[in-house]
Amino acid sequence: MSITVNGKTIEHIKKETISDLLKRMHYTFPLIIVKINGKLIKKKDYNETVILDKSEVKVIHLISGG
Amino acid sequence: MTEEQKITVTIDGKEVSVDKDTTILSAANSIDIFIPTLCHSELVEPYSACRLCLVEIDNGRKKRLVTSCNYPIRKPITVKTKSERVKKHRKNILEMMLARWPNVKIIKDMAAFHGIKTPRYTSPLQDPQENACVLCGLCVRACEEDIWESALNFANRGPEREVMMGYGENIPQCEGCETCMSICPTHAIDMDKEDPNNPFDADLMRKAGMKLTREMVLLDDSQCRMRKVGTAHLTEIMDEYDLLPVQNYRFGSHTETKNIASDVFLKNYLTQGKPDGCWQGCTMACAKTADAFTLKTGPYKGDQVVVDGPEYETVGGCANMGIFDPEFVLEFNFYCDTYGLDTISTSTGMSFYMEMFEYGILNKERCGGLDLQFGNSDAALTFMHRMAAGDKDEFIQVASKGIRRVKDWLIKKGWGDKQIIEDCGMESKGLEYSEYVTKESLAQQGGYGMTLKGPQHDEAWLIFMDMVNNQIPTFQDKAEALHYFPMWRTWFGLNGLCKLPWNDVEPENNAETDEPAKVPGHVQNYVDYQNGMTGGNVDKEGLILQSERAYNWQRAMNVWMGRGTRNDDWIPYRSMGPVTKKEYESRKDRYDTQFVEQLGFTKQEVEKMSIEEKIQKLYEYRQNRYQKLMDAVYYRRGWTPNGIPTPQKMKQLGFSDKKMLSMLQKKIDQDQEKGLNSWGGIYGDDEQPPTDKDQYWLEW
Repeated sequence: MSITVNGKTIEHIKKETISDLLKRMHYTFPLIIVKINGKLIKKKDYNETVILDKSEVKVIHLISGG
Repeated sequence: MTEEQKITVTIDGKEVSVDKDTTILSAANSIDIFIPTLCHSELVEPYSACRLCLVEIDNGRKKRLVTSCNYPIRKPITVKTKSERVKKHRKNILEMMLARWPNVKIIKDMAAFHGIKTPRYTSPLQDPQENACVLCGLCVRACEEDIWESALNFANRGPEREVMMGYGENIPQCEGCETCMSICPTHAIDMDKEDPNNPFDADLMRKAGMKLTREMVLLDDSQCRMRKVGTAHLTEIMDEYDLLPVQNYRFGSHTETKNIASDVFLKNYLTQGKPDGCWQGCTMACAKTADAFTLKTGPYKGDQVVVDGPEYETVGGCANMGIFDPEFVLEFNFYCDTYGLDTISTSTGMSFYMEMFEYGILNKERCGGLDLQFGNSDAALTFMHRMAAGDKDEFIQVASKGIRRVKDWLIKKGWGDKQIIEDCGMESKGLEYSEYVTKESLAQQGGYGMTLKGPQHDEAWLIFMDMVNNQIPTFQDKAEALHYFPMWRTWFGLNGLCKLPWNDVEPENNAETDEPAKVPGHVQNYVDYQNGMTGGNVDKEGLILQSERAYNWQRAMNVWMGRGTRNDDWIPYRSMGPVTKKEYESRKDRYDTQFVEQLGFTKQEVEKMSIEEKIQKLYEYRQNRYQKLMDAVYYRRGWTPNGIPTPQKMKQLGFSDKKMLSMLQKKIDQDQEKGLNSWGGIYGDDEQPPTDKDQYWLEW
């Protein structure tokens, strides 16, 4: 029972949504893009989209600042 | 939003389910039903002045006409946008408008669309100008709601009503952002004749500017909050990602960061309460001001002053000195500005001196009596005041010149171990590091080291791409990023532009583009900007080429001055990995895992090693990785392994200056004799340098 996040393998948690995962990973940066198995997930769907076992998740942080 | 809170409405026979309080106009637009408007824009609150958006609603009991732009849907209704009653009223309104403004294009077009050729009556208020003001109020509302200025307003009443600045004079509240001009549907506002820059195509530039304004108004609050807190929003984010420099980059976060988080400044200190552009017309407006701040120290002690800032780097610099007091941040910011000091160099310098103090390499006696412990804000400020006053103490004199001089001074005095001094002093090329912890991102180490100017973050900020996203795993990937991003950012410098409107707000559809990290929609803004200003026909690759020419010429100038070589691009080990036991222990899990995953040790072997052994092994491993990165980057940039731009590359970029080309060739020949034209990295059996060809550039 595991998923990968940005290439790193971590435990899969049942019924975990994207919003939950972002909290678990401490990903608080506002400019991010989430893809599950290559499919772009829109921000408005983060609360409802559940991550299934063996998913390949990408949380792409863009750049800002200074 | 749950389904229960959705309301279903029927518009022209089509059903649509919308959130409560959605306007009829938005609901109609969402299902591609067109309703004409003149005074409406998504950038401002609905106004219902023009009345063109009238629709007929039926709530089951009665039918009536309402303006769709500001009518909130609260229960199921039936809407008709083209009923006979609606058409009749809309035509009447358009006829009156056409009578009054017969030559305004948008009025003429809308009237024609509704079947009106000539109005049935003439207006005593007729204004025959093609760009007459139709009093829609978009400019007045945009200035107030989007720019937060209210430089424009309506004056007079009835037939005399008109838009003007206060008393018809140019007033200082006008920032020249041209939002009013861009939003005006009739071109009634024209600032071009006052534009001293005489752009080739002002409209092209204005469209790019308006794209930015629109995004700032609609998206900034949910993205970076640049208009509310500015770059300081990064403080808490960097802390969360273990990237905030704490105690001279030893650590990446601290429990007290909450005391200097952006909201602390917003709630307690920032006073303007509105966006503040640092140059005229900028609608990103991320500069911030704390008015009436009472100073506690220095020559202005007790005075109430205006503090400009703080930006992220200033706050980060204070964390680096181990000081988490917002009032210190403001006082430090004020005195740096007042004394003409850079907050980054000053704080990074002091962080180094504080670390040397902690190890006893410096002490009160050696520091002119200063108790330079981490977190001692009084000592930090006293140091600044004494430096500014020209204090003759030896330490103050040397320290005021920065880290490089202090390193040399400490080594010359024989105080402390040379290695620890070199490893901990965060400078390269004599410039102090800016405020990010780069230890876990090789690409960012390159972004700081392989620069023309020294370790500042303005060439390539790659930590997220590299360390968090794992998007550029190979040396070649990193080298490509260290080609593109420095060139792109150099372009801002060449054009005297700020980079923040490039990627501190992003278009709604940026995630769906091919290369989101480059923000393609905003790269196009700059293409339009340059073409609009110059009348040229450059594309995005052309912008990079402009930078590549300047960048390589500057590198060649560095070589000419005896610099610009591999040695000059070296960086202190603190920016590559843990120098001390305390640092290793603070990220032990991460480092121990790397030993297994990257260095090929077993878990048992890692457990048996002492921390000193592990630090030493990492030291060798990480320094070699930086060497390999240099190899890859130099190759990508068209340079020799010693970092010298090759004449072949220079010719490709269009340079024909014989003096410069022969100078470079001479340097390369000298390097050849000294054996410096070979790769710096030590490669394993399964690895290869960028090429195994000797003097590879000869083939270019």
